[in-house]
Amino acid sequence: MNKFKIDYSYILSLFISIVVALFIGALLIMVTGHSPGEGYGAMIEGVFGNSRVFGNTVAKSMNLCLTALAMAVAAKAGMFNVGGEGQLYLGGLAATMVGVLMSSASPTIVIPLAIIAGAIVGGAFAWIPAWLRVKFNVSEVITTIMLNSAAIFFCKYLINGPLKSTEKGVLAATENVFVFKLAKLIPASNLTTALFYSAVIALLVWYVMGKTTLGLEMKVTGENPKFSEFVGLKKDKLMIWSMIASGAICGVVGMMEVYGIQGRFTENISNEFYFDGMLLAMIMNYNPFGIIAMSFFFGTLKIGAYAMELSTGISGEISQIIFAVIIFLMAAQGGFKQFFGDAFGKFKAKRYKAEETDSRFSMEELSDDMGLDDLGSKGEE
Amino acid sequence: MGNLSEIFNLGLFQNTLRTATPVILAALGGLLTEQAGIMNIGMEGMMLVGCFAAVAVSFAMTNALMGVFAAVMCGIIIGIFFAVFVVKLRSDEFIIGMALNTFAAGTTVFLLRSIFGVKGTFADKGIVPLPSVNLPWLESIPVIGPLLNGHSIFVYVTWIFVFLVWFLLYKTPYGFWIRAAGEHPESLATAGINPDKMKFIASILCGILCGFAGAHLSLGYLTMFAEGMSANRGFIAFACVIFGMANPPRVFLAALLFGFLNALGLRLQSVGIPSDITAITPYVVTVLMLVYIVTAGESKKKRRAKRLVAEQKR
Repeated sequence: MNKFKIDYSYILSLFISIVVALFIGALLIMVTGHSPGEGYGAMIEGVFGNSRVFGNTVAKSMNLCLTALAMAVAAKAGMFNVGGEGQLYLGGLAATMVGVLMSSASPTIVIPLAIIAGAIVGGAFAWIPAWLRVKFNVSEVITTIMLNSAAIFFCKYLINGPLKSTEKGVLAATENVFVFKLAKLIPASNLTTALFYSAVIALLVWYVMGKTTLGLEMKVTGENPKFSEFVGLKKDKLMIWSMIASGAICGVVGMMEVYGIQGRFTENISNEFYFDGMLLAMIMNYNPFGIIAMSFFFGTLKIGAYAMELSTGISGEISQIIFAVIIFLMAAQGGFKQFFGDAFGKFKAKRYKAEETDSRFSMEELSDDMGLDDLGSKGEE
Repeated sequence: MGNLSEIFNLGLFQNTLRTATPVILAALGGLLTEQAGIMNIGMEGMMLVGCFAAVAVSFAMTNALMGVFAAVMCGIIIGIFFAVFVVKLRSDEFIIGMALNTFAAGTTVFLLRSIFGVKGTFADKGIVPLPSVNLPWLESIPVIGPLLNGHSIFVYVTWIFVFLVWFLLYKTPYGFWIRAAGEHPESLATAGINPDKMKFIASILCGILCGFAGAHLSLGYLTMFAEGMSANRGFIAFACVIFGMANPPRVFLAALLFGFLNALGLRLQSVGIPSDITAITPYVVTVLMLVYIVTAGESKKKRRAKRLVAEQKR
């Protein structure tokens, strides 16, 4: 009901979670015998130190942001796409094949074609679980998890089998860095013109989800499928297409990994990127603005931790731990609020009982009204 | 045809048992939580922590049994942690499971680097492996003898666990309550049993079994710790749970089947076929199985409804 009020408290919880997680990170840095200032200092240095590392950070954030938006698009219509990793791999593979087959064509033709190929294959692969869900009511969560591994092993099969190259773990014809690399925006960094494509996708997602009837229809379908059917929306179609859109975005991310960053198709074009993006989208309640903002925070954290490891020797895995702690706390924020709310309610009820000033309040009413607003007003009293 | 006999020999089936064991253990844990109504995809992380704890303690105390004990203790802690978040704090089980995997991957590598100062793998002569079982009387039986004999001790323990889990689920009141907690928590609560408590128990048991799986993986199957060494086994275990419809003997058979495919893949590699093609099979088969379960369940429902209607008319 009061969604906007929750938003404030949500941001507060997010802030608290980040502080707690960074505090835990600081403790871990201390355990390794370094000072937290040194560790976090190295992190910041590794992100804003020069234009190259900053470019890498933006590139990483962009990747996170797109995968998270892909998750959000499907989730808006009530589809839970866990299979982005597989869609990313297959999309990347298709895009690479376009480049390999058209190696003599001009990049101005190949790159758009590669993007389209990535989107089509990624979307088509997402269609399978969506169709199974709509047609047979098979949980798309489980099928997408399974199809993820199937897709990744398929790519590995191609790389180790029919399309083997001289270098281990690299697809044939891409051993030497690919001809069609996207132009770099900052020299020697990972930041390429993929930034513009990503910006277009992000804007499109935000616009469609927030400003159009289609977005509203998706939202209605996601929140209440029965109602959506009742008011005459094409529920099945909406669900399938939102999933396809989600897969298409993942496919494009795969294309960008190949054309923008790695320059070839390897076994490890994605290191569970989609899962990070997925979790990010979930804790941000699938809000596009929140996703874009937080993806920069987590991108900074990841790249910073990498730099910290190089310069100070503190294990960069701390970033993963901090990330997980934030996710844990945010996933449980509702539970924590209720827990503290209940404790606070009992405390308040006790005080009322002791003073016996006001008998109008019953325990139920009190605990119903509990929330952060009460905490706030208590401070003002 | 010489190749065929090279592939399909006793070694293949021995390998099947060996590779299936960690998956069976994790899947037994997973089916308990599944029965209790929690979709647990955090088994990957639970196993990984077990692997690390087992290797670290076995190395530090030069005692494999203490390693297993440590892995199980860690399993209990993670099980409680998982249950507190999922059951008590009512968080999304999916997010917590995924975050648990990330957390476990990060923490084990962090500890590996901080304690042992190595990156990648930690293999040392000081890690005491679990003993293998060698029974002379079993050895003397043809075919079955060499097939069943000489495995790491956990291969045998696992078979007992399959029975125990089945017994717990279907022959004890606790099992009944755990199943009821998943299927109809309200009824269970009406009957005076707290469903949350049952979910807690299932999660902790899952943690314990995943701890065993991890210990077996790092002390029985291999004698080392490698980053991310659970290598998708948690997800395979999850596939087994779905494939076996969370029924212990069926899950056991599913895990054996997947273990067979894995072992077959490794052997096919020797004749030049990449093992990845057999690695795809479990996942695709699980998807098909899921479609079958759902459609068969639907038609069963429809048939029952039709019969009821027919009876009503009479």
